Amino acid sequence: MRANEEALRELMVAGLGGDAAAHAALLGVLVPLLRGFYRRRASGSDDDIEDLVQETLIAVHVRRATYDPGRAFTAWLFAIARYKMIDHFRRGRRLRPIEGLEELLVAEDFESVAAARIDVDDLLETLPAKQAGLIRATRIDGLSVAASATAGGFGESDVKVSVHRGLKALAARIQGRA
Amino acid sequence: MDTGDLIRRLSDDVPPVRRNAVGRRLAIGLLLGALVSAVCALLLLGIRPDLMLAMRGISFWMKWGYTISLTVIAFVLAVQLARPDSNMLRWRWLLVVPVVPLAAMGAIELSRVPTSHWLHMLLGHSWASCPWHVLLLAIPIFVGLLWSFRRLAPTRLRAAGAAAGLAAGAFSATIYCLHCPEVSAVFVLTWYSLGIVLASALGALVGPRLLRW
Repeated sequence: MRANEEALRELMVAGLGGDAAAHAALLGVLVPLLRGFYRRRASGSDDDIEDLVQETLIAVHVRRATYDPGRAFTAWLFAIARYKMIDHFRRGRRLRPIEGLEELLVAEDFESVAAARIDVDDLLETLPAKQAGLIRATRIDGLSVAASATAGGFGESDVKVSVHRGLKALAARIQGRA
Repeated sequence: MDTGDLIRRLSDDVPPVRRNAVGRRLAIGLLLGALVSAVCALLLLGIRPDLMLAMRGISFWMKWGYTISLTVIAFVLAVQLARPDSNMLRWRWLLVVPVVPLAAMGAIELSRVPTSHWLHMLLGHSWASCPWHVLLLAIPIFVGLLWSFRRLAPTRLRAAGAAAGLAAGAFSATIYCLHCPEVSAVFVLTWYSLGIVLASALGALVGPRLLRW
């Protein structure tokens, strides 16, 4: 399953409603995400990273009531992940930060990525569904024109024209807005 | 333990979560603590004998208006700080709202009496004990809020401690009103606020240690 904001949020909301299967699926999807998050920021053995991942999963589970469904799930998740990591460093456990601790406290690329993603989603929603879907496929998910054409049942030139028109409309909208 | 096993174990227990669960949990902690505080106030300080009469007067409601509105605002801040993604703290500025009308009332009061009475209005009969009573009665409420936070996820521990201390102090002052016979706005503005600020400072001091998870 692809771990994007929407999919994660849906699983989380279902879990909050008492759906144990959705909750288990969510925790499962979070494992590679969290491993990646900690790998990029902490140096240490795989076992230590895994301990931190498990600690975070437990926190996500125990403190799930603090998620507000009106807000971004990834921002909530990585706030917990970051807290757990900084706490780990402060207690002087085995993992070591890759960057300075202060930078960790200030900068958070995951959150800005999540925020940018939401902006893009908002913008794409203003386009016709076909153009939006094809832009997402070719420019965000990184599929080739040929692959998106086959997947959507369009001709290749149709895909190119749609993407081109959609992007032009988006550019006009952004310039008009600025 | 294997991560897969952990996930299976955690997923055994997935009770539904109610909306506003954070606010609910904090409210329960606050009220349970307040119950203890109220019993302490009743047994140790006693309720002012003219409470029923006082509740018909304006100065009683001026005091309650101040302490209750501060409690509500501090509570709203604590709810925000109980979530991990609390970078954007909203409505902090509201904290000045209860202070402004009280200060205005105090200024009007002072302007109506000769300056020789000012010191008496400021000190009342109980200035030396009032802040300490407020602070002491705040402790059970603060403990109640600590219990609430055990299942919540504050990431700014000092701020969360300060907000919890502020809510505890303001609500403790609300309880203390049942005992305290003082009537002047200047008194409340000074000595009640001092007790509340002390409670908040204490919360900020112990927050990073006690709210860790």
